[in-house]
Amino acid sequence: MSAASTYAEHADTLTHDAHSHVGHHSVSFIRKYIFSTDHKTIAKQFLTSSLFFLLVGGAFALFIRWQLAYPGEPIPIVGKWLPETFVSNGAVQPGFYTQLVTMHATIMIFFVIIPLATGAFANFCIPLMIGTDDMAMPTVNMISFWLVPVAGLTVMSGFFVEGGAAASGWTSYPPLSASGTGHMLWVIGIFLVGFSSILGGMNYLATVLNKRAKGMRMFDLPLTVWALFITSILQVLGTPVLASAAALLFVDQVFHAGIFIPENLLTPTGGLYPSGAHVGAGGGGQPVLFQHLFWFYSHPAVYIMILPVMGVVSDVLATFARKAIFGYKAMVFAIMAIAFLGFVVWGHHMFLSGMSPLLGTTFMLSTIVIAVPSSIKVFNWLGTIWKGNIHFTTPSLNALGFIATFVVGGLSGVFMAIGPIDVYIHDTYFIVAHIHYVLFGGALFGIFAGLYYWYPKMFGKMYNETLGKFHFALTFITFNLCFFPMHMIGVGGHMRRIHDPYVYEFLKPFQPINQFITVFAILMGLAQLLLVFNFLWSLKYGRPAPRNPWRANTLEWAAPAHPGHGNFDRDITVYRAPYEYASPESKRDYLPQWIRPPYIEKEKTVSVS
Amino acid sequence: MFDFSWNMLTYFPPGVSTYSDALDDLFRLVYWISVAIFLLVQITLVVFIVKYRTRPGHKSIYHHGNNVVEFVWTLAPTLLFAGLGLYSDEMWKVVKYSSRLPLPDIEIDVVGQAFNWHARYPGADGILGKRHARYRTAQNLFGIDPTDPHGKDDIVLTGEFNLPVNKNVVVHLSSVDVLHSYFLPNFRIKQDAVPGSWIDVWFNGTKPGKYELACAELCGSGHYAMRGVLNLQSDKDFAEWMDAKIAAKKAVLAAEAASTSSETAVPSTAQQAAASSTAH
Repeated sequence: MSAASTYAEHADTLTHDAHSHVGHHSVSFIRKYIFSTDHKTIAKQFLTSSLFFLLVGGAFALFIRWQLAYPGEPIPIVGKWLPETFVSNGAVQPGFYTQLVTMHATIMIFFVIIPLATGAFANFCIPLMIGTDDMAMPTVNMISFWLVPVAGLTVMSGFFVEGGAAASGWTSYPPLSASGTGHMLWVIGIFLVGFSSILGGMNYLATVLNKRAKGMRMFDLPLTVWALFITSILQVLGTPVLASAAALLFVDQVFHAGIFIPENLLTPTGGLYPSGAHVGAGGGGQPVLFQHLFWFYSHPAVYIMILPVMGVVSDVLATFARKAIFGYKAMVFAIMAIAFLGFVVWGHHMFLSGMSPLLGTTFMLSTIVIAVPSSIKVFNWLGTIWKGNIHFTTPSLNALGFIATFVVGGLSGVFMAIGPIDVYIHDTYFIVAHIHYVLFGGALFGIFAGLYYWYPKMFGKMYNETLGKFHFALTFITFNLCFFPMHMIGVGGHMRRIHDPYVYEFLKPFQPINQFITVFAILMGLAQLLLVFNFLWSLKYGRPAPRNPWRANTLEWAAPAHPGHGNFDRDITVYRAPYEYASPESKRDYLPQWIRPPYIEKEKTVSVS
Repeated sequence: MFDFSWNMLTYFPPGVSTYSDALDDLFRLVYWISVAIFLLVQITLVVFIVKYRTRPGHKSIYHHGNNVVEFVWTLAPTLLFAGLGLYSDEMWKVVKYSSRLPLPDIEIDVVGQAFNWHARYPGADGILGKRHARYRTAQNLFGIDPTDPHGKDDIVLTGEFNLPVNKNVVVHLSSVDVLHSYFLPNFRIKQDAVPGSWIDVWFNGTKPGKYELACAELCGSGHYAMRGVLNLQSDKDFAEWMDAKIAAKKAVLAAEAASTSSETAVPSTAQQAAASSTAH
C-alpha cells in the first residue's frame, strides 16, 4: 500500500465552509473596522488606502502626460474645474506641473507601492503563512497603519496652502526644498510615513522570529515570508536615515540652520538665504549631504518595493506551475544578497552630484554586481516553470508578466549603473522608463498577482476570472506601449520633469512619441477600472471561495475560507517545506505543509483559545 | 526629418565632442548585450509557457533544483557584469576624473541661476579673477574678488555662449541658488551644478554649430525653460567674437572710470560688494 493513500484526510481542504469566527468575541464597530488590531483588517485597510492613493497618483500621471502630449491645451473634463493657481485656461501651469511630478512620485512610492508591498501583503500573509493568530504586536500594527492616511493627507494638503504642494521632485533636494509651506508639509508627511515603515518592520521581524507554527524552521518559510522578513530588516535599518534627513531638512526650513545651505546663497527671488547670516564667512552647509542621506534610504527603498513582490511571484509561480521552487535556498540567499548590496550602491544615483569620481568607480562596480542576484532570481523562476504544469489564471499571468517586464527593467538598470553611460542618460526619460518598468511592470504586476491570488482568502469570495484576465492583458499591452517608447526619447536626450519639452529644438521631433505614450497611458488608466469593478463586484456577487481554491501548500490555505479573528480553526503543525508539489509521497500533485505524514503518531491536540 | 523606429540607437542627437563616439559605442555594446539577454530570457519564457502549459494528462515533475546549474548561472552574470563594469571604468575616468583633466586651452566659469545660465570669460588679460562666495550679490553672481585686478576685465554673458572648436574647454561649474545640471546633449556631457562647490567639466567640440544647453535637474517652475545656446566656432570666428567682447568691456570700464571721481577709480564690483556687506 502506498503512503499516498493515507493522505485522504486533507480532502476537507477543498470543501466550502462557512465563515469561521474562531476566537471571535463581540467588539464595537469602531474596534472591528476602524481601530482594529486584527492583522487581516489592517491589511485590508492598507489595501484600501493604497488603492485610493493609486487612483489619485494615477490621475496626476495623466495630467502630466496630457501636458507633455498637448502642452498649453486645456485638460479634458477636469481642466475647467481646477483653480487658476494651478491651471491657466484649463492648461497645466509650470508650477503646478512640478507639483504634479513631485506628488505623483511621492504618492506612488510612499503611499501606494510601499504600503501595498509591506503593509497589505506583510500584514495579511505573515501570520497566516506562518500559522499563527496575529502579529506579535497588534496595537503597534494598528498605529503603523493609521500613520499612513495621516501622513498622506498631510503631504496632499500642500495643494491647499500658499505656494502649492511640494515641488522639488520626490527626492526633495535642498536648497530648492528648503523653503515653502508645501515642502514643510511634505517633510512632516514623509517623517510620519517613515515611522509607519519602522513600526511595521519591527513587528514583522518579531512575528516571523517568534510566532512560527510548531515545527516550522526558517527554511520552511514560503519565499513571500522570507522576502518580507529581509525587507523588514531593510525598513528597520534604512528608514531612520530617511527620517533623520527629513528632520534635518525641517530644521533648515524652519530655523534656517543652514545644514544643507551653503554660504551666501541667492534665493530664487534674488535675495540671500537667511542661513548665510548665521553660519558666517567660510562656513555653510552642503546640499550633497542630503542626497547621501536620502539615497542611503531610498536605494534600499527600491528593494523594499520589489523584494516582497519577488516573494509573491515565487509563491504564485510554484502554485500554478504545480512544481517546487527551483533552488529554494539560492532564492533565499539571493534575497539576502540583494538586500545587503542594496545598502552599498546608493551612490549610483549621485554619479553627477559632484561626489568624487573615485567613489563613482566604486559605486559603479557594486551596483553592477547587484545584477547577479537579480539574474539568479530570474533564472530560478524560469527553472520553476520548467517541466511544470502551468495553469493560466489571473495571478499566474500577472506573475509571468512580472518576469517579462522585470527583465527589461533590470537590463535598463545596467545602462545607468555604468557611470559613463549614466552621464548622458541621467535625469532623462530613460530613467523614467527604467523606474516604471521596475515599479509598475515589476512591483505592480507582482502586486496584482498577489491581490488576485489571496483575494479568496481575504474576502471569502472568488473574483471573476474572465475580467481578471482581461485586466491583465489590457494592462500588459498598454503598459509596454506606454513605457517602452520612453527609453527611446530618453536616448534622444529628453529630460525628465520638464513642463514643456518643445522649448528645445532637439526635442520638438519627439512630440508624436509623447502623444503615442499619452494615448496608451490613458488606456492603461482606463483598464484599471476593470480591477476596481472586479474587486467591488466580486465582494458582493463573487462565488464563495473554498478553503484552498488553488490547491496550494502554504499554511494560509489551512485556515477557513474567510478566517475570523484568530485565523485558524485547527492546530497547525508544520511537517515539510512549502513547495512539495508533484511529490511522489502523495497521490495528488500537492502536499500541504500542515498534513501529518502517516509515520508520525497522531499527537494529543490542544484546541486554540 | 524624423522617422519612428523601435531601435533606440537611432535616437541619439548628433555627437560633436571628442568622447561622444566612444560613449555612444559603449551604449551600443551594453544595448546589444541587453538585447541578447532579453531575447534569451523572453524566448525561454515563451517556450516554457507553451511547452509546459497545462493540458489533460500533463504532469509536472518533482524537482527542487540543481546546485551545478545555480553555480553556473551565478558565475556567468558575475563575470559578464563585473567585466562590463571594469571595461567601462576607463571611459568614466576619461570624462570625470580630475587627474585625467586635459590641459585647458580655454577656461570659463559657468553658474546656474533659476532660470538662466551665466558664463564668465577671462577677458583681455586671459586670466579669470579670483572669486569667493562672500563677494556674491545679485549683481556679482560669480563672487569676483573686487581687490583682484585680473577680475576687472572679466566678461559675463547670459544664455548664449561662444567657444572655439577643437579646443579643450574646462568649465568651472557652480550655482548661485539651487541645484541645476549642466547638460549638453550633443556633447554627451552632464554635470550637476552644486551651490557652494566648483566642479570641473571638460569637453572638446569637434564640429562648429549651434548646440542647445539644457538644465537637467529640477530647479523650480521655470526649470523647463532654462535653456542656453552654445555656439561652437572656428578659431578665427571665435577670436573675432572675443575681441569684440573685450573691446566692449574696455569701453564699459573706461566709461565707469570717467564717471567715478578722478582721485579714486573704484571698480563697480567693489562698490557693490561694499554696499552689500554694509547691508548685512
